[in-house]
Amino acid sequence: MKRLLLLRTSYPTSSRLVATVVLAVLGVAITFTLTALDDSKLAGGAAIAIVIVGLSWLIGWSGQVSLGNSGYMAIGAYATAIWANHHTTTPIIFTLLLATACGAVGGLILALPSTRLRGPYLAGMTLAFSFAIAPLALNFPSLTGGSGGLFLNFLSAPTWFVNLFSGSQALIRANAQWTADVAIVVTAVAFFFMANLFHSRTGRAMRLVRDNDVAAELAGVNLQRTRTLAFAISAAYAGLGGSLLTLLTGSVTPQTYSLPLSILLLTLMVLGGIGTLSGAVIGGLIYSYSDNLVSLINKTTGINPTSTFGANLKGIVFGVLLILTMLLAPRGLVGMGSRLTSLVRRAARES
Amino acid sequence: MGSFLTSRFITYLLGGISSGVVIALVALSLVIIWKSTHVLNFAQGAMGMFAAFVGMNLVFKGTNYWLCVLLSLAVGLALGGVTERVLIRPLYGKPEINPIVVMVGFLGVIESAIPSIWHSNLLPVPTPFSQVYYQNNGHTILISPFVIFQVVLALGIMGGVALLFQYTNLGLKMRAAALAPEVSRLLGVRVNRLLTLGWILSSGVGAMAGVIVSSGQSLAATNMDGIFVSAFIAAAVGGLESPVGAITGGLLIGVTESFILGYWSSNMAPLAGVIVLVISLAIRPQGIFTRNVTRRV
Amino acid sequence: MFNRLRRSAVVLTVSAVSLGTISAGVFIGSPGAGAAGSAPGVTAKSITIGATVPLSGLAVSYAEVSAAAAAVFSYVNHKGGINGRKINYIRKDDCYNINAAGCTANVGATPTLTQTQTLVTQNNVFAEVGSLGTAAQDSVLAYLNQNKVPDLFVNSGSSDWNQPKKYSALFGFQPSYRAESKIFAAWIKKNKSGATVGTIGQGDDFGANGLAGLLAGGLTIASANQLTYNPANLLNPTALQAELVQDLTVLKTNNVAVVVLDSIPPITQAILEIAHQLSFTPQWVISSVGSDPLSVATPLEVGAITMNYFPSTATTSNTWNAWLKKVIRTAPNASTIFPNYFTGANAGVLDANMQYGAGFAVAFCEALKSLGKNVTRAGFLKAMTTVKFSTPSLVPLSYTKGQHQGLQGGSIATVVANSVPTSPPQYATLVGNAEYTTGDFANTGIVTNKQKVTPIPSWLK
Repeated sequence: MKRLLLLRTSYPTSSRLVATVVLAVLGVAITFTLTALDDSKLAGGAAIAIVIVGLSWLIGWSGQVSLGNSGYMAIGAYATAIWANHHTTTPIIFTLLLATACGAVGGLILALPSTRLRGPYLAGMTLAFSFAIAPLALNFPSLTGGSGGLFLNFLSAPTWFVNLFSGSQALIRANAQWTADVAIVVTAVAFFFMANLFHSRTGRAMRLVRDNDVAAELAGVNLQRTRTLAFAISAAYAGLGGSLLTLLTGSVTPQTYSLPLSILLLTLMVLGGIGTLSGAVIGGLIYSYSDNLVSLINKTTGINPTSTFGANLKGIVFGVLLILTMLLAPRGLVGMGSRLTSLVRRAARES
Repeated sequence: MGSFLTSRFITYLLGGISSGVVIALVALSLVIIWKSTHVLNFAQGAMGMFAAFVGMNLVFKGTNYWLCVLLSLAVGLALGGVTERVLIRPLYGKPEINPIVVMVGFLGVIESAIPSIWHSNLLPVPTPFSQVYYQNNGHTILISPFVIFQVVLALGIMGGVALLFQYTNLGLKMRAAALAPEVSRLLGVRVNRLLTLGWILSSGVGAMAGVIVSSGQSLAATNMDGIFVSAFIAAAVGGLESPVGAITGGLLIGVTESFILGYWSSNMAPLAGVIVLVISLAIRPQGIFTRNVTRRV
Repeated sequence: MFNRLRRSAVVLTVSAVSLGTISAGVFIGSPGAGAAGSAPGVTAKSITIGATVPLSGLAVSYAEVSAAAAAVFSYVNHKGGINGRKINYIRKDDCYNINAAGCTANVGATPTLTQTQTLVTQNNVFAEVGSLGTAAQDSVLAYLNQNKVPDLFVNSGSSDWNQPKKYSALFGFQPSYRAESKIFAAWIKKNKSGATVGTIGQGDDFGANGLAGLLAGGLTIASANQLTYNPANLLNPTALQAELVQDLTVLKTNNVAVVVLDSIPPITQAILEIAHQLSFTPQWVISSVGSDPLSVATPLEVGAITMNYFPSTATTSNTWNAWLKKVIRTAPNASTIFPNYFTGANAGVLDANMQYGAGFAVAFCEALKSLGKNVTRAGFLKAMTTVKFSTPSLVPLSYTKGQHQGLQGGSIATVVANSVPTSPPQYATLVGNAEYTTGDFANTGIVTNKQKVTPIPSWLK
């Protein structure tokens, strides 16, 4: 009887663990069927999904609007590049953890002046922070490679993995797929921890602070600590995402992680569904395959992709989607999905 | 006197003032919108550039410079009104992140729409004022006829807005509508119309900033991006409720950037905004010029 | 609860089984592109090569380089190709790796990497030929090396392409920035001896190496006069203006008489304009990277010194120039690709970009021809170091096992006014001498030689 009770209290976590493993395995299986190019895109999308879920945590769950997450990505990215260039044989996991820790420290530093701020002042502070990264990188060129940035070796597939492939494109395919598989596994682990956070006491405290901070304080929640924790966790995730992206693209420059990226993250998060795990996954997928989507639009409407209109179509489409989503469906695709399923259920019940 | 004007300190100060007035102008436009509708307009810079594109492109085709400026102003005013009615009106009463995101989306649309409408042209827009700096015994004083024009125009606009708000009936109504909308409605003030008017005015100011930035430089959709960030920070430093604060903040950031550029390095110039913001928010988190506001629980 | 655990176990088993099946299906039925042992991108009738070049965006003035190369390949294909193989040259737009400022490619945040991956995995190119941009190409060196794709004739003066031990399949083309600066230093010492020298360089590898070459060439430059501009400000014109005003004011205050510029064409133009506004008139010495008069397009450039490694385009007696004009005229869609050649004040005038593109295209054809019917990557890399290239350039083109840079010098040239007063200026060459070295520029000095003229191979005419 006691054993059953023990199992019951850890049930939610263990079922989430099983779900994570299943999804990771499925993800890896899918990479075997994709072309090398699609695998690379998927890997990038996975890294972005990690950053988005961290941003969702900060904005959706703790109600603090931040435009500075690209700055934490840069911290994680530079930490990764600097470390990888000095210690070429550390296992990937160590590099990723290091970058995550650096990101978290960055979050704590920014949290110091920021947690007292609300609304637009907070947005301004985080915006200014994201602008500070490039100058700092440029001012320590011996460490950060200055404006040229740093380059590191790409994740190379180990020999046992390459031997699974044959044909003249074997090496290329193997390398592309290995990076995608590593990205998927890391993303699955990151999402597992975030899922647990959402449903923990910390998550509930966050929501309370977001909705009514005076009540939260009266209920005994430490406002400063809760808000700081939100920043730190979101920054840690951004650092992890930036680190993964650096391993995938082999380079980091002061311009890679800047304001347009912060805006893109915000866009993808809103389109997917703010504050949800599946929304972050959707956001990552949109990032990966937005070019494919735009090509599709070009083909069906006959717009020439190299004409000035066709080339800027992606920006226009994204902007319009964002506006429409915010005006009509603020909870994003996930929100629309759940509204649709409840409509269907209601129709089924009534018939 | 001659060597004073050409000294390093004065040179940097002059450079800072001429860039600072543009930042101040954009900061002022942000404050106007905030005071009237409590929205942070992320697309402020882009809207101003769109208006500038419409008007200033015609200068290349030979149209009179001043006519082009008026055209840009007209487009800016119209754009402000349309944006408020179509994008912002539906969002009153919703969470504060919604209009921010909508304006971010609008920013993306404008910055992609501009290069799709106008072919990229790297030539600078000709102006009726010479950009050659004055010389004194072979040393340069960082003032040119164009710089004088820039500063005079910006100050004129700021003065005009100040006069409008302080001394006209319309300005009084606008301030009332922003401060106490329900009471104003009871008093017969058409609140909604005045909110739109706030956007129209702000967008006109933004358009003039776009015109100033683009004169003597090439037209590019992203010309105002850096200025927008500085203006945002300037407005926050000054306290989003205070036009005087925004202008002071803008000048302060412009001059700080110039000094950092001169005495430190060009790489660190973007840090000007960060430094000013951190110091001012540490001293007075609600903005240096705001009066104390109590929060209703 | 047990039901739920059992359900999870079922899902897990199903996934494992499906993974096993899919993988088995993939491996057993593995297609293997092309016949075993043949080089990627090579068939009996064709060879596919590619390049990532700025076809739009702020470096669009360089698009003409690869367009000229493409014109040469079209011309060669028209004559039957090389050993019966037509050359399929795929140019992908990477916007100089900066996805902004008018970029019309749909390429995300790392344009060069994305386009390179497309060329390698989708187009299955034999090699990259003539990709452009220091930062752009630096970002894909490791990827190309990892996947064993040769990267030939990189369009950039960086010395990064000259690392034969680490990157055996990587080759540059133009003289390094250091070499060019050493040549400038020699000219300045001879013609402006005693003058105060200052520099404005791009704040990256380009500017840093340019400065290093000047100092290695024996010039003394006060550190207060060694200035840079932040390449990130290419996207922020107001900040760029402020920076350049600052730099030029310093140089003027310090009475600098000779200013060396290591800048790309739009920045060269901005610098010349701002100097005019400050009433500052030094002797300008401009890197070949940023001095093409048709790109810089301002009469303020007249009188500037630069370096050419191709013969003056005004010389009508040069057979390579005449041949290139024929190639340009007969290229498909020539009037759309080379509008300034067909209309406007400079119609009929070749520019340096065209000569550059033709230069490496011709070299590629020569190396390919030497392989005969059997084309492999290893064979091609060997040919690069053994073929004696006939080249339109003023200095010899050669590679060795220890040197992959390419051209090793050039000739001083001065920018002269156009006979049509309102039009951009044109080049002229100072008579006679080419300066180059056959060794490593870091260690050897400059050797003055007569300009080299190699004849056009008969099969190319």
